[in-house]
Amino acid sequence: MGAAQLLQFTIAGLKNGAIYALIALGFTIVYASTGILNFAQGEFYMLGGMVAVWALRTLGLPLLAAVPAAVLVTVGVGALVERLALRPRRAEAPLVLIIITIGVSMLLQSLARHLFGPNEVALPPFTAGPSITFFGAAIERQTLWVWGLTAVALLVLWVLYTRTKLGLAMRATAVSHDSSRLVGIDTARVVMVTFALAAALGALAGVAVAPLTQTAYDVGARIGLKGFAAAILGGLGGPVAAVAGGLVLGLTESLSAAFISSTYKDAIALVVLLAVIFLKPSGLFGRAGREKV
Amino acid sequence: MGTRRKTGAGHTFRRVMTAALIVALVALSAAGCSAPTSKASAPAAEKAPIKLGAVLSLTGTYAGLGVPERNAIEMEVARINAAGGIGGRSIEVVYEDDATDPAKAQAATTRLIEREGVLGIIGATGTGQTMGMRADIDRAGIPQVSMAGGNAVTAQFDKLVFQTPWPNRIVVPFTLDFMKKAGITTIALLTDSGGYGKDGRQVVLDDVAKYGVTVVADETFNAGDTDMTTQLTKIKAKAPQAVWMWAAGKEGAIIVKNAKDLDPSGSMRIFGAPGNGRTEFIDGAGAAAEGFTFAAGRILAPDSYGRGTKAFKVATDFIGRYTQKYGKAPDIFAGHAYDAISILADALKRAGSDADSAKLRDAIEATKGLVGVGGTFDLSATDHNGLTAKDLVMYRIEGGVWKVVE
Repeated sequence: MGAAQLLQFTIAGLKNGAIYALIALGFTIVYASTGILNFAQGEFYMLGGMVAVWALRTLGLPLLAAVPAAVLVTVGVGALVERLALRPRRAEAPLVLIIITIGVSMLLQSLARHLFGPNEVALPPFTAGPSITFFGAAIERQTLWVWGLTAVALLVLWVLYTRTKLGLAMRATAVSHDSSRLVGIDTARVVMVTFALAAALGALAGVAVAPLTQTAYDVGARIGLKGFAAAILGGLGGPVAAVAGGLVLGLTESLSAAFISSTYKDAIALVVLLAVIFLKPSGLFGRAGREKV
Repeated sequence: MGTRRKTGAGHTFRRVMTAALIVALVALSAAGCSAPTSKASAPAAEKAPIKLGAVLSLTGTYAGLGVPERNAIEMEVARINAAGGIGGRSIEVVYEDDATDPAKAQAATTRLIEREGVLGIIGATGTGQTMGMRADIDRAGIPQVSMAGGNAVTAQFDKLVFQTPWPNRIVVPFTLDFMKKAGITTIALLTDSGGYGKDGRQVVLDDVAKYGVTVVADETFNAGDTDMTTQLTKIKAKAPQAVWMWAAGKEGAIIVKNAKDLDPSGSMRIFGAPGNGRTEFIDGAGAAAEGFTFAAGRILAPDSYGRGTKAFKVATDFIGRYTQKYGKAPDIFAGHAYDAISILADALKRAGSDADSAKLRDAIEATKGLVGVGGTFDLSATDHNGLTAKDLVMYRIEGGVWKVVE
């Protein structure tokens, strides 16, 4: 096994890992401010890609406009999901809310199938051109976009959480809804902003990946599961932990496919996940009882 | 007080309406129950339709296959009925969606048999779903015409089960023969770990030796995987002359794109299977699809039927009508569905419009020289597919379109 090949496996792992990381970020921030897991997160990813293709092909927008348009539409959907499906049931137990998100994911998937049809659709790469060769390993230009967007998302979240008033309100809400309300924070609004933000992250991942893989109305469930696994692996501990969880999951899959078996790579990744949960229930990068963001 | 009385009146009114509705529904359903007997006693003015079932993947991974299949069936049934049906009886098809899930395909089959009392079933779209239906088909003793390309469908023989696509036992030797003539002796396999790919992989492994071809790498992927770089990096290290992939969905486009990145000079030729004959594949793979080679039926290039032949007429007629109705040329899957409904209609004509399931099965098995779009069907008691390698051609993608390779 040459060094170039090892590098190629690592690149493949980090590419998938970055995608998982963006989804895991969505899971993590929603969990932080509401204490629930949003299983419609994968559908935001699907919507990002599908709306971008729709805007490009049907509306005839240029790619430069279709991508932000797709993210904005998905942000709107995310906010509506919170307002219409979750807020009316805010007082229910978390399990009820989680089940509502599963229902929402089915609804969004069915809607997408009716609106956009059952076939897979393609989005052109953000920057055209052949792959870049790096020490004998090939990197698609779109992969650089995926990495870049993940880094930017992480940076923006970090600034938001540590440097802005909204971020402070989000962190306060994460600690306690009741106390936050007592000091004048509109927690309902904070939760809605969190959903919109999670939707933006999902949509961003969806549009960034569509040129690599094509997209379809049904891609959300699987990527949602991967992102969920990454979030758990990271310990639902915060943005950095989510990204780390995603990258570890991607690398585990890639290296298992490379050195053990491509058929069982998903199973191996799952075994690693279970092992982590058994040995360190708070996740690789989470600390029990720690502030959630 | 006035308003309260008003609402009270509203309640009574609503209650009366509800009761009326219930009575009407009961009366309707009673009429529905007695309909067959009343129709049987009446003269043949309005005969009950011949009821067939269709189990298709309208959602899930194979939705892109199941939807054109339903389009083709709907169009053909409407045409048959407009032309007077079969012996004065129209055909009615009850559609069920299996969501690309074998368990749901089985449940749908049960429903079609128990509740709808269908005479025969078209479907399923996929191999796994088709196999999942078998126990119920056998129990009910009704014929099934599948549109799945897996070898198992007719290789694991069942006297009730027929198949319209070219099974892998025809596709694989045909492709291997092509490779041999092209001087390819070392190949790598990259196959879907699910039904279609697993089936193809096994047939390839069984047949390669006969053509002097060696499999130097044998990799798989899972449906929904978004990156195949790792598998292709391993494959490239073994330097095969060709990579043979077995993928029906969007994974196919990912594989050719990843392969192009790792091997820009194209030292490994990429081969595929009939399932790649979809425009979505070319759209998704873009320039990376150039040079991609696969075997499929002649529907993708109707000229290859031979202008003026009956097959050419049948195919161009179907392609023309389908394109006009749905605004898009039919793909091979629409063709498989056209063949399935054609086989059933042809058999019904011979068996008579009042045939039972057993007679219909016998008539299907006796199909001879039926020209469809997938080829000419000659069925027998031992061959429930009836196609041969003559019905296949090799295609290569050039300039973003399929070209027949001579």
